Amino acid sequence: MAKMAYTLHVNGDDYEVYAEPNLTLLEVVRDELRLTGAKEGCGTGDCGACTMHLDGENVTSCLVLAAEAQGRDVLTIEGLAIDGKLHPLQQAFIDHGALQCGFCIPGMILSGVALLERNPHPTRDEIRQGIAGNLCRCTGYTKIVDAIEAVAVGVAH
Amino acid sequence: MTTADRPSYRVIGTRAKRSEGPGKVTGTTVYTADVQLPRMLHAKMVLSPHPHARIAGIDQAPALAVPGVTRVVTAADLGEAIRDGSNPALSPSNRGDALIAHSEVVFAGQPVAVVLGESLAAAEEGAAALVVHYEPLPAVLDIEAAMQPDAPLARRPAGEVDRSEESAHVTIDVHAEEAGSRPTNISSHVSFNRGDIAAGFAESDVIYEHTWRSATMHQGYIEPQATVAEYQPASGELTVWTTTQGQFHERDTIMKMLKWPETKLRVIGPELGGGFGGKMAQTSPLVSALTVIAKRPVKLVYSRKDDLLAGRPATGALVKIKTGMKRDGSLMALEASVAYDAGAFPGAPAATGALLMSSFYRWPNLKVDGYEVLTNHVSAGAIRAPGVHNVMQAVEQNIDEMARQAGLDAAEVRLQNAVRTGDPMSSGKAFPAIGLVETIERVKAHPLWERRNEVKAGAPSTKRRGVGLAIGGWLGGLQPAAAELFLNSDGTVNGVTGALDISGTNTSFAQIVAEEMNLPLEKVSITTGDTRTAPFAGMSAGSKTLFTTGKALRDAAIDLRQQMFEVAAERLEANPDDLEVEGGEVRVKGVPTRNISYERLAAITTGFGALYKPLVGRGTVTARVQAPGFTAQIAEVEVDTETGFVEVKHYASVQDVGFAINPMSVEGQLEGGSVQGMGIGLWEEYIYDDSGHLRNAGLLDYRMPTAADVPDIDSTLVEVPSEDGPYGARGVGEPSITAGGAAIANAIADAIGARVPMMPATPERVLRAMGKLGGAEAAGG
Repeated sequence: MAKMAYTLHVNGDDYEVYAEPNLTLLEVVRDELRLTGAKEGCGTGDCGACTMHLDGENVTSCLVLAAEAQGRDVLTIEGLAIDGKLHPLQQAFIDHGALQCGFCIPGMILSGVALLERNPHPTRDEIRQGIAGNLCRCTGYTKIVDAIEAVAVGVAH
Repeated sequence: MTTADRPSYRVIGTRAKRSEGPGKVTGTTVYTADVQLPRMLHAKMVLSPHPHARIAGIDQAPALAVPGVTRVVTAADLGEAIRDGSNPALSPSNRGDALIAHSEVVFAGQPVAVVLGESLAAAEEGAAALVVHYEPLPAVLDIEAAMQPDAPLARRPAGEVDRSEESAHVTIDVHAEEAGSRPTNISSHVSFNRGDIAAGFAESDVIYEHTWRSATMHQGYIEPQATVAEYQPASGELTVWTTTQGQFHERDTIMKMLKWPETKLRVIGPELGGGFGGKMAQTSPLVSALTVIAKRPVKLVYSRKDDLLAGRPATGALVKIKTGMKRDGSLMALEASVAYDAGAFPGAPAATGALLMSSFYRWPNLKVDGYEVLTNHVSAGAIRAPGVHNVMQAVEQNIDEMARQAGLDAAEVRLQNAVRTGDPMSSGKAFPAIGLVETIERVKAHPLWERRNEVKAGAPSTKRRGVGLAIGGWLGGLQPAAAELFLNSDGTVNGVTGALDISGTNTSFAQIVAEEMNLPLEKVSITTGDTRTAPFAGMSAGSKTLFTTGKALRDAAIDLRQQMFEVAAERLEANPDDLEVEGGEVRVKGVPTRNISYERLAAITTGFGALYKPLVGRGTVTARVQAPGFTAQIAEVEVDTETGFVEVKHYASVQDVGFAINPMSVEGQLEGGSVQGMGIGLWEEYIYDDSGHLRNAGLLDYRMPTAADVPDIDSTLVEVPSEDGPYGARGVGEPSITAGGAAIANAIADAIGARVPMMPATPERVLRAMGKLGGAEAAGG
């Protein structure tokens, strides 16, 4: 398949990409840009480990063609902390013990951030709905909900 | 232990934050699939569509014609990678040897060839193009049918049964009986007997007999299996990055398979994206062989479909059980059998299941049999507490039902009959210090249990509410372990072990060292080395990492401290026995001004012309006494009587953890295991059609719990110290998964007044139990 050249705007930086047009955003970001924070857990959009933000919206990047992301803002987990300062939700995940193996965590945090941007004061049930697209097998979710809730409460102050 | 009895500690027992947290929340932590090497080839497996068939031929030409495909590797080719020219894949006696099927496939999903390509896309296209000719053979797909003497054999009789998978998790003092000389599908049978079973039932006032089934399910780690391996022909060095719970186990498996010298073999276990018993040498031997054959680095990452079809899921089981009890609640007799569907190769926990199903209560009379049965399903492996949820489902529902029939409090019946320290297991071995009674006492007093009858009143008209209780447990694994500690020039301490950290163990290890060295936690760092840089550690499996390697670190810290005392004693002109560590200094007890700092000790043991030897603390342990951990869990459910849908409204998980080195991490283990138990109870199931094909090989249809499916877990840590664990700690990973399925089942029965005979309790099965559906359940449905 003939490769194509295009530009991706990821975490505020422009990347020149030269790749097959059928590659997914997840494949290009991981294998070409070498930003491996987003994970592939299923490849079918069911587990959420590949979650990124596209123009501020949550997407499962395993189901998005990379070429479709041209001219749009892509945010991956690597772009969330600014100059080494963790996003409050990243810090909350550490503080609340909301991570174990960590494989789902980049996607889980990005879904949490998207939720809080849509709804800064979610109830615990709304938090659970907001991250229902992100499977975690280690934590049982209780401490993840705690972490997101703590940041939501913090926003209120 | 009451709080007053507990020694006061500074660092252990505190909710320390995970040391590797920043890497995990920023996405910089490296997992196996993140490893990329120059000139790396990608591998894609070709999987059998048949549960049992002869391979009549493989036509490689269409695959090799795909641009970018470099090679097709079949079982016969594997001999190229094995140093002595042998090839165990040609007549495999266990799943580990069957890297690629040769001449016969014995489950749908078994790899029959691997296609290598310059890109994953090329390898995938080549795999799709490869043509394999099969001649289907009769398949055995049901546990009971497979156990019949005249059943077709799932596979050609194996010469020897390899039990390494089972022994990886649990330490049991019994050995399975040898299978009879006439080949059958029963590859292992173990029995336990006590007392007079007939007399026990004769003395019983309440007898309950039932047959329970549980489905095959997957460990469900979110990170698929993966290996990257690099062979350097000039040096003979083989380096392997793999998703594993035990680097040394991978190393030894590769060594045995390829006859590879361990001086030329380095296994690196990067951060692991969940294991739960499933990440043990599944892909590293194959990919090691592939890189040797191709003489280029090779990467294999399972797709989720690969992982569900060709992984090693947890066994389904069939339990037949009859129990008897006196009217006063005394348990009198247990007669039961458990048959595990091992799939096409041995690896089912028949001995574990039979032992644990009969050892948690004081049965005066018992007769229990465990069977491992071969079928043409995917061969099973371990899971968190392998085999236990299958048997707790049966025992705990029988106890519950007898208590109900006798009009007794089900918690009280359990408390009355629970095993105590020193009681015999069904094998005859005595229990070491255990806290089952204390654990049940805590759930009995839990608000969810106390209000169990009140919650029923508030249910909407089409719904019924119920509360269920169940216990579970795990004996705990044992395996030697070692650790090393080094005093750094700035007075801090670094350490290395070979144990992979999948549950926060490196943080807990650092807490232990900080405690013993009297340093703040941030002045200690523990790293997981690889098989060429770290001393031996066993697998992070069987709830033994903290229990064994943690103990090695404690010993290493004591050793390092003693070495520091020896040097300091000379400098301070004091007796080593009169010294103590305080504030980063070694001091003479009672005379704080006579001291030497850790920095100074480092300088005089490392500098040019230094008089003293470097300070290297060393700890090596082999634990010999298990530390069984027990759990008791309560589920409150609401059942929709029109749809059969079950919602878990509230959930409590109580567990004896011995001593929580890091309560936050330990709670995480309880919460995660409890939700896995809910998955077992309600959703997770390999659904096979009548011809043995998996119908739900994806995460949309293989339903693991999402955050929206489950409530908060209210976890309670009970601390009855173990005899041999560091500071009294017990293994905590395993027990939490064992009781959930049974607790949910009891809650459903409490709600609808009927028992669902198979886990998971899908809406269809719930409606069927309520008599709302006619006909028989569809195969696997």
